[in-house]
Amino acid sequence: MSDKDTTYQVPIGPIHPALKEPFMINFRLDGETIVDAEAHPGMNHRGIEFMGMHRNPLKVIPLSERICGICSIVHQHMFTTAVEHAAGIEPTNRARYIRTIMAELERIHSHVLWAGVAAHEIGFDTHLHFTWKVREKVMDLLEYIAGNRVNYSMWTIGGVRRDITEKMYPKVNETLDYYESLYKKLEEIFLGDPSIRLRTKDIGILTEEEALRLCGVGPTVRASGVKKDVRIDQPYAAYGDLDLDYVIPSRYGYENTGDVFSKTLVRLKELVQSIDLIRQCVDQMPEGDIDSEPKKAVLLNKLKKADGEGIGRIEAPRGEAFHYARLKEGQEELDCWKIRASTYNNLTTYAPMFMGEQIADIPIIAACIDPCIGCMDRAEIVEINSGERYSYTHEELHVLSVEKTKKILEGSL
Amino acid sequence: MNTIDLPMSLDELESYFKEGLGDSISDLRKEEIKKGLNNRPVKLIWFTVSRGSFRKSIELISDIQIPHLSVTSGSDLGDVVELIYHFAVNYGYPGDEVSVNIKVHLPKDDLTIPTITDLVPGAITTEREKQEFLGIKVENIPDSRRLWLDEGFPEDRYPWRWDETGMENMSRYVHDKEEAANPPTEDTPREGGGKDE
Repeated sequence: MSDKDTTYQVPIGPIHPALKEPFMINFRLDGETIVDAEAHPGMNHRGIEFMGMHRNPLKVIPLSERICGICSIVHQHMFTTAVEHAAGIEPTNRARYIRTIMAELERIHSHVLWAGVAAHEIGFDTHLHFTWKVREKVMDLLEYIAGNRVNYSMWTIGGVRRDITEKMYPKVNETLDYYESLYKKLEEIFLGDPSIRLRTKDIGILTEEEALRLCGVGPTVRASGVKKDVRIDQPYAAYGDLDLDYVIPSRYGYENTGDVFSKTLVRLKELVQSIDLIRQCVDQMPEGDIDSEPKKAVLLNKLKKADGEGIGRIEAPRGEAFHYARLKEGQEELDCWKIRASTYNNLTTYAPMFMGEQIADIPIIAACIDPCIGCMDRAEIVEINSGERYSYTHEELHVLSVEKTKKILEGSL
Repeated sequence: MNTIDLPMSLDELESYFKEGLGDSISDLRKEEIKKGLNNRPVKLIWFTVSRGSFRKSIELISDIQIPHLSVTSGSDLGDVVELIYHFAVNYGYPGDEVSVNIKVHLPKDDLTIPTITDLVPGAITTEREKQEFLGIKVENIPDSRRLWLDEGFPEDRYPWRWDETGMENMSRYVHDKEEAANPPTEDTPREGGGKDE
């Protein structure tokens, strides 16, 4: 295996596999087997932190929202939490509950979206269309509450900008009922189907030890049995008032293997958890204002006078994410801003997960950490001996993955 | 290792670090922010260590649990570059997690810091990022290549620095490598540029 003459190098990117963002992974292959994998992000670094350090905090909120298209709530949530911490501003209790509801709705939409992508990567396009169809329901609810399908513009420093009134509860409940009734079917598809099981069981394994050592986050490490969840460990927003527990496979009678199957299981179970959390929030929603300082000029003035530093740490659908913000007295712009999204920490977990797997498993393993990066445009294979280059398009690599599933179904593999 | 009773409270952590680090620890600050209707607190601890004792502080953290490093943030404070290592201890204990934020100040004439990747393998991404964004040198880093910035980005410019090595002058021309290397001056205004000024 370690014979130098037989290994190949396969850069996959700069526009990569699973979703739709620029990203590259460089593979070293021994025949069909992956012997090393290395992630290369930064194909489209936009310098958002630099931009943020030239704006006042209120102007940074919409900017932070545009860091990610899928979890746009996550970044504004963290940013506002960090600034509130730095300036000593308290959001109102009602705002905490509304923030929690929105964050959980986003988790539902993100996990359902992921399930579709995962199915697509192994060739089950019917499931892709099914999950993306059912995802519309939660998108509609988000639009109903916030006015937008994505980039909800809900957050402000000290609270939220839109209320969830009692009049809206029936629609919220209806959506939750819909997903509850749907869950059995999703479980049947993703956990019960024997061919999906064959493509996901014992593939892309991350051990508990590796997950901890590499500082991995979210469902990626919970599937290995690691009990890390910011919502429980260090409750923010209204999570401290709610009843929730770590979603790890052993809680449901499965092994904490850390393979793609466990990661799917954890995400599906989190769907149920999110539904439960939203119900708890709706039941306990306190009365009161949604914004502790509705006059934005007053707020800006307060922020300008503030001097301090703060952190915003939350559990995004993909795992723990983090913002650090510092305000300096007399300065309107942020003095320092550091953003850390979940995928940033999960990048290093790729190497052990890819090790020893096959080329045809690249798409599903790349997708299994739910990377916020994606859509492989083309892969290039370099044969070290002759220096010859072969080029694979995304479609061709996808076809390889689909063929593997077909072979499994025909029983020839 | 792991003879410590978990979860550690804020006061226990304070005395643990003070004992372990002695005089090299300063500006220790504890915070408890009450959140939600039940007033469950979010616990944080901040302190500064001298560069000489920085490795020791990471070793101390590693003795508690396998360390969880959220990220390292960094900024240019004028004479020094400040790095903050944001750790989380007591994970897995509901409501008891404490954010441990360790600050190190590096003087501008000697911007070096030892790597911690032998103790925290997951720190490699953030160490590489700090090298290219702040111009610090991480000693014995296993992989010192660039991670985020484009190959064409000038070698001696660092996006998060506010001094002459920063990119205030070039931020309008980042798309153009040649122009970025020679920012316009009053004597040589850029052709076609400056319309909005």
